[in-house]
Amino acid sequence: MNTPAIQINLHRAATGVLVFTDAAGVTYQNVLPVRLFPLTDPTHWIAISSAAGHDLACIEDLAALPGNIRDLLLEALADRDFVPLIQSIHAIRRAAHGYEWHVTTDRGKTHFTVENDESIQPLAGGSIVVMDHRNTRYLIHDPAALDAKSRQRLERYY
Amino acid sequence: MPADPVTLPLIETRLETGERIVARFQTDLDLRLHFHKGLLVLTNRRLLYLEEKPEGAARFRDWKLGEIGNLSLEEMGATGVLHLTTTDPSAASRWRFTAGLIKEADTFLACFLNQRRTPAGVGTAAAPSTPDPNAEDEGLGFTELARPSARGNPLLRLLIFSKPWLGLIALGLALTVAATGVSLLTPWITGSLVDELLIPLQTKTEGLNVQRIIPYALLLLGTALLAWLLKWGRSFVVARIAELVTSRMRRALFEHLQRLSLIYFNKKRTGDLISRIGSDTDRISMFISLSFIDFVCDVFQFAFTALILFKIHPLLALAALGPVPIVAWLVKCVRGHLRSSFAASGRAWGMMLNVLADTIPGVRVVKAFAQEEREIERFRQADQHVFSTNDRVNRTWSFFSPMIEMFTDLGLLIIWVAGAWVVANGEIKVGILTCFVMYTSRFYGRVEAMSRFFAAAQRAAASAHRIFEVLDVEADMPTTEGTRRIGRLSGRLEFRDVRFRHGSREIIHGINLDIAPGEMIGLVGPSGSGKTTLVNLACRFFDVSEGAILVDGEDLRDIHVEDFRKNIGLVLQEPYLFFGTIADNISYGKPEAAREEIIAAAKAARAHEFIMKLVDGYDSMVGERGQQLSGGERQRISIARALLIDPAILILDEATSSVDTETEREIQRALDNLVHGRTTIAIAHRLGTLRLANRLVVLEDGRISEIGTHEQLLKTSGTYARLHQAMQEVSHA
Repeated sequence: MNTPAIQINLHRAATGVLVFTDAAGVTYQNVLPVRLFPLTDPTHWIAISSAAGHDLACIEDLAALPGNIRDLLLEALADRDFVPLIQSIHAIRRAAHGYEWHVTTDRGKTHFTVENDESIQPLAGGSIVVMDHRNTRYLIHDPAALDAKSRQRLERYY
Repeated sequence: MPADPVTLPLIETRLETGERIVARFQTDLDLRLHFHKGLLVLTNRRLLYLEEKPEGAARFRDWKLGEIGNLSLEEMGATGVLHLTTTDPSAASRWRFTAGLIKEADTFLACFLNQRRTPAGVGTAAAPSTPDPNAEDEGLGFTELARPSARGNPLLRLLIFSKPWLGLIALGLALTVAATGVSLLTPWITGSLVDELLIPLQTKTEGLNVQRIIPYALLLLGTALLAWLLKWGRSFVVARIAELVTSRMRRALFEHLQRLSLIYFNKKRTGDLISRIGSDTDRISMFISLSFIDFVCDVFQFAFTALILFKIHPLLALAALGPVPIVAWLVKCVRGHLRSSFAASGRAWGMMLNVLADTIPGVRVVKAFAQEEREIERFRQADQHVFSTNDRVNRTWSFFSPMIEMFTDLGLLIIWVAGAWVVANGEIKVGILTCFVMYTSRFYGRVEAMSRFFAAAQRAAASAHRIFEVLDVEADMPTTEGTRRIGRLSGRLEFRDVRFRHGSREIIHGINLDIAPGEMIGLVGPSGSGKTTLVNLACRFFDVSEGAILVDGEDLRDIHVEDFRKNIGLVLQEPYLFFGTIADNISYGKPEAAREEIIAAAKAARAHEFIMKLVDGYDSMVGERGQQLSGGERQRISIARALLIDPAILILDEATSSVDTETEREIQRALDNLVHGRTTIAIAHRLGTLRLANRLVVLEDGRISEIGTHEQLLKTSGTYARLHQAMQEVSHA
């Protein structure tokens, strides 16, 4: 379904905001790219949302875009996205409200509190999403690919 | 209901020549509402009535059809009445019967009215619908839903679930027997050790000979090791069997529940069903893995030890086993008592879960009305009930168990006394006596364990009974009933004189309606007029009691249910979202849908933009404990769900009733996309929802009172005009 080189008219204005021009030639200031499936399919289905929250365009596959537009989008997405990937689990300890996880992610070492069992959910495709008490999402892409110790610690709580 | 075989020949003797029976109806009450059988028979000339008399001759009455003024049926709650008026008022009569017979009375009445239309003396060649005793056992399902499960011992029925693992079970039994046999060797070796070595050593007839001790020690060690190995294997195999069997039971229960119709779920409470699937299967697992195998073990040990004891010294054995009959009698007494107690405790547990299943989802109402204390009290009572039923079990049990122990001690005491005397007489050696005492104490150990087994068996039987009670409810809407496979329908729907009766109450009284493919029908009418029932019939959640519903010209009952439901999109007043992501919820009816389709459906349902604003987009968790969505948002997701399966027939049951007008407008736009090009039946209180409807059907009291477009109906100034005016007043107030 890859339609090559979709026309997406997007540029960064001098003020730093993204400006989108639709097929009718109407320009929209300060648009936002939004991942529609940020957890299960982050590289496909990117919507461009107006400042008011209306859907202006929907891109199925980033790879089908011209390079400069793609970079612009990825940059804007990276600026907003924060879903650390858990690479190893050092400890899961009982805390006052739930459990304290000590982990290394692709964004460095951190610890956070997970309130209850429902905060750990499987996603389609075998990955696991962990939600901490502040609603930050952490992703474990493939639990089987974790090192043995991390896997054991995870299995005790999931 | 088949006519009484005794009274029918009696009726036949009373027929005149050329007179034929057209229909018959057996009543089951007398005029004082006592149970009493009577038989009404309609012939081509007369109406006859034969009444059962306790002693001797039956009472008989008859009326010529010409004399009869009118015959009418009246429902009176749990009973029904047939009124007969005649030209001569003194000959009038009435018959009473229980509500279960109303349908048959109705058929009888129809036969009567039909017979009256045909000239007297001429028999209707094809009697319209002589009640066929067999026809009524099919497809009804409402009267006898929960059949009591009286199909043999529930514990024996557990064997059916164990069938696939007979090999494993045989292995488990073999290991059990082997382990038991090995453990029985120990006292024997000990006895020999005492007699051959220790006694001579003590009486100084021989010196200490280490060479002779070692074989005994090794033998004892060997048996201990072997017993350990065998028991390990046994425990594992048996625990596995238990898990396999109960997992199969749980799945069977859940699968069975999914096949049952809505009527069953309307009757059953969630907590009770959850307790049956959860706790009751778990009890059975415990029973199989612990009690049952122990019991087999015990029976073997019991038999073997008894045999060995008699072999050693028959008289001594007889003395030692003296208290056994008393124990057996005690077990028998306690058994029945325990069984009913365990059943009560299982029910109490289910009731407690019912309170939980009721209160937790309804927590908003509880808090809004500040009724926390009341719910706490309700739970306290349920829990108190669990406590007291368990307490009752424990009271019996705590008395019973030490009682057995006492008899064990008594048995041992007898042996020591009798044994001393036997040894003094020189009949047996001290070692043999030691061995004998060890066997006896084991024997009584087994007796105690076996008595415990009976308690466990009673508990498991109570649980098994609760499980089979669910499994024995016959699927009242079998998917196999309709066999015709269909693809996509064009969406023509025809209601042909549809009647629906639930229990004794007729809810739909003869509805005729043709809906063309792509037509939108708006169903309006006061609450309780049968709108939702009609829609449920069209979805085939229930079957019609009489008449038929045709889709694309075929009877709904002939069509494969699942194939048919794939053609139906349903949007309810209270949208139900399952726990999972928004994408999962939208693609519920078509799990293989591509992301593109999901997004397209969400866009058409005007849900895309609010989903886009959620942090996780389509990956957001919704449903219980998930992302909080407003009523309108949830409704739009459920509309997207209906859109995705692209149904030929769409049913909107008050889809816009639970939201504010602003949201209603949004939903309205979503619905406009959904309705386009589909046969649609929409129920709505807000008449604005129905502005696209081709025709409006006004239902009143289970009958169609008006049909027409909005303008036509306003002109007739009937019910619809009244409803419309009321709506206008409300919105302008």
